[in-house]
Amino acid sequence: MTDAPLLELRDLRVSYRKRAGLGLRTTSFDAVKGATLTIRPGETLGLVGESGSGKSSIANTVLGLIAPAAGTMRFRGTDLAALKARYPSGLRKDIQAVFQDPFSSLNPAMTVEDIVTEPLRVHTNMTRAERRARAVDLLAMVSLSEEHLNRHPHQFSGGQRQRIAIASALALEPKLVVLDEPVSALDVSTQNQIINLLYDRRDALGIAYLLIAHDLALVHHISDRIAVMYLGHIVEEGPADRVYTAPAHPYTRALLDAVPDLDPAQQRARRARRRQLAPQGTQRHAETGCPYSNRCAQVMPRCRSDAPPAYAVPGGGTAHCFLLDPGANGAGHASDRKEPALP
Amino acid sequence: MTETAASAPKTVARRPARRRRASAARLIVYPALGVLALLVFFAVFADWITPYDPLKQSLMEALQGPSMHHWLGTDDLGRDVLSRLIVGCRIAIIAAAEATSIAILLGVPLGLFVGYRGGWWDWSVMRLVEAIMSIPGIMVAIVIIAILGPGLHRAMIALGILFSTSFLRLARGVVLSEREEVYVRSARVVGTGDARILIRHIFPNVAPPLIVQATLTVGAVLLAEAGLSFIGIGVQPPNASWGTMLNTAASYMQLDWFLAIPPGVALVLTVLSINLLGDVLRDRIGRGIAVPAARPKAPKRPPKTAPAAGAPGRRPSPVPAPDAVLDVAGLDVVVTAGAGDEVPVLSDLGFSVRKGETLGLVGESGSGKTITGLAILRLIGTTGRITRGRITLNGRDISDLSERQMREVRGKEIAVVFQDPTTSLNPAFTVGEQIAEILRTRAGLSRRAAMARAVELIGRVGIPNPAERARAYPHELSGGMAQRIAIARALSCNPSVLIADEPTTALDVTVQQEILDLFRDLQEEFGMAIIFVTHDLAVAADICDRIAVMYAGEIVEEAPVDTLFSAPRHPYTAGLLAASPHGATRNPPLPTIPGTVPRPGAWPEGCRFAPRCPHAAPACDAAIPLGDGGHRVRCIRADTLDLRRSA
Repeated sequence: MTDAPLLELRDLRVSYRKRAGLGLRTTSFDAVKGATLTIRPGETLGLVGESGSGKSSIANTVLGLIAPAAGTMRFRGTDLAALKARYPSGLRKDIQAVFQDPFSSLNPAMTVEDIVTEPLRVHTNMTRAERRARAVDLLAMVSLSEEHLNRHPHQFSGGQRQRIAIASALALEPKLVVLDEPVSALDVSTQNQIINLLYDRRDALGIAYLLIAHDLALVHHISDRIAVMYLGHIVEEGPADRVYTAPAHPYTRALLDAVPDLDPAQQRARRARRRQLAPQGTQRHAETGCPYSNRCAQVMPRCRSDAPPAYAVPGGGTAHCFLLDPGANGAGHASDRKEPALP
Repeated sequence: MTETAASAPKTVARRPARRRRASAARLIVYPALGVLALLVFFAVFADWITPYDPLKQSLMEALQGPSMHHWLGTDDLGRDVLSRLIVGCRIAIIAAAEATSIAILLGVPLGLFVGYRGGWWDWSVMRLVEAIMSIPGIMVAIVIIAILGPGLHRAMIALGILFSTSFLRLARGVVLSEREEVYVRSARVVGTGDARILIRHIFPNVAPPLIVQATLTVGAVLLAEAGLSFIGIGVQPPNASWGTMLNTAASYMQLDWFLAIPPGVALVLTVLSINLLGDVLRDRIGRGIAVPAARPKAPKRPPKTAPAAGAPGRRPSPVPAPDAVLDVAGLDVVVTAGAGDEVPVLSDLGFSVRKGETLGLVGESGSGKTITGLAILRLIGTTGRITRGRITLNGRDISDLSERQMREVRGKEIAVVFQDPTTSLNPAFTVGEQIAEILRTRAGLSRRAAMARAVELIGRVGIPNPAERARAYPHELSGGMAQRIAIARALSCNPSVLIADEPTTALDVTVQQEILDLFRDLQEEFGMAIIFVTHDLAVAADICDRIAVMYAGEIVEEAPVDTLFSAPRHPYTAGLLAASPHGATRNPPLPTIPGTVPRPGAWPEGCRFAPRCPHAAPACDAAIPLGDGGHRVRCIRADTLDLRRSA
């Protein structure tokens, strides 16, 4: 994994325009406020955040569904941002996606064969028979068979539909697949089947994944690196194990603490401790300084005025938090930091 | 996940109503088809079957009534009415085909285009359409004919243009909604071009409502053609059409009223048949255009067999525990499925909840956990039915209360909080009004007292500035806030049982944690029993005192929370625990449970989990009872298996 980055986002900004009043004025809203990320070939980057954090906006921008407002997106040497969401065919086939909801991501009016061979039809000169043969191979790869080719999506369960979506996404052997909450609509017992499948294909084909999810525990299983987003900012980034076991940013820690645990006894202890924490601000977004300063239990005066830069975290990665500032009063907090999140 | 769970029974439930209507529809469809077949037959073979030349005048025989020679009489110029009527069929069909195809060919592509393209195109075309639609249709047609000149074909072009607006709006509407579908996004990611997305991906989904619209348009065109011919700018005399025939009839109303009957009846029958067919098609296709829901039938009194022993694997239900607020015993629920068969969705369900206790109902989609909550509330629709069992609430059996009595129970004694707070609150009223309304109708409070109490409740569920927030509409609140409001509403009448159906699934984890804390606090204060339905074992571990794990419509294991997680005894529970993202080890392959949850109706005999179970034995083919005591398990090998999680 020392090769040149496959995808490099630098200071990426994504804005949405909203019509205000009678539709004459438009106001603009930044969903992503300067994101910097790197994915190497064959690597899985987990992008975690709550709803409204901007993680899906990053996914849609990388996929060329939205043109970014500012910043660069370098994919194998080409700046995608300059293409203004109009990707040439050669690039399109290298970046594919699997979306969250397998019930709406497959066209109800098309057969499985149509769905799986659509990318081949658009990007290759294969004949119908060749495409069908390839579709059979692809279905076999996701543990479905030829008999499924002529069926419609509604005849399949959620897990099977997600397999079909994966087969279609892998049809062109892309270099990067964006997985937007790929298992959150599935049952617990099927979730892992899909994760195993994705993992297995990644190793076999050397694909890189940009995995968007809200569940840190899940992301931790299959990511090499994890980036955590909060209200449009990437607040922490680093090797998956380090971020999961020794989160450096207070928000990452809060996120980990909020994930319910399977051990009821530990859960009770954690709840008791959680409730002793100072009440948090109700306004989610801080206008100046650190975006998390309104809800942070360890907030310092400078957090409210200055935006924290990226500080290196022991164990790898970076976090945007003044607690890590080696020059300032970070010493007292350093010992806290090595502790894992509340048990 | 829960959505599928909830929608699965719902789709099943919708079918029988449609079936009933379908069989009634069949009675109309055949006559309607017969009328239309006759129409086509006349149109095609008009030249051979007309008894007279429809244009041949014979003034000697003018204005005669029906006779052996002229079955339907003759008109003012002595022409045979029957012959003219038959030729009129041809005109009608040509007119309908012409105008409808022009309308479709013009309206649909334009609608698809402006809907997909949006922006300036959409704006200007839609303003034009609105302008056309704001003028009475006949006026527009007259203007177009004034430009093109009179005559059948020109009139049909005029009508085609006029009716194209409704096709345009239809196609545009479908595209606008389909454009946002994930499958269209997928197609764009694949690199499919816009034209191909429109034609190949979106158009097939426009087709069903289009077919319906086309049939309705045919009917409308027939009437419009008759109207235009009637006022003399459609079919020109002496040619026969139903419209010109009516025109003639109108002039001789005093002399021979019968003249109006044949074209009138022909017109009514044809348009009626076409509209009926359109309705039936719409019901059949059932997509795109809203179908009014079938009226709920009065709930059938369940022909209850005593919940006694006798069925294999079923124990006589014990007398409810004295301290139980809610006790469910031996409950069987069926829903009527497609072919009219009743499919079981819950079987031999039994559990009880005490005051101040939280019971978790945990399971995957299709396990029956959501339907359990709905069955307790008796909200299982027109097709769900409790066939056996008892639901005891505060010592009273509520399983055979009338709908009216049940309405008293709901909200007052049992309240419910649903998964999606943004859809469970009414968007048209402020949140304060919604809570106050319940207090007024259920607790009989005055308007002022109800509002004051509503504000108090809103404050109680942890919302700052409650008085101000009470005036907010649901869409002005975040998901977490809206869920707090839904909880406040549920608690407004101080219910003894609260059913919470996946109340945190739609929320972010940090908000979920706050809501779970809120449930705990409120339970301490109000003392209600909570039935907490969730698919997430970790959430259940946090909030529940006791957990019942459901699989394929039955409880497979029930135990106090600590016991269940530390020492599960059913292989399914153990599988779920192992597969949970928090429970599994770091790297794939992650542990899985092979296969999927069987659908209702496809449950295996004996142990329903056996086909997926790693510990299945031949003895698992027989029905297995749930067992007794504090830790109940429905597994024949429970005593011999060690399923404790290895640390």
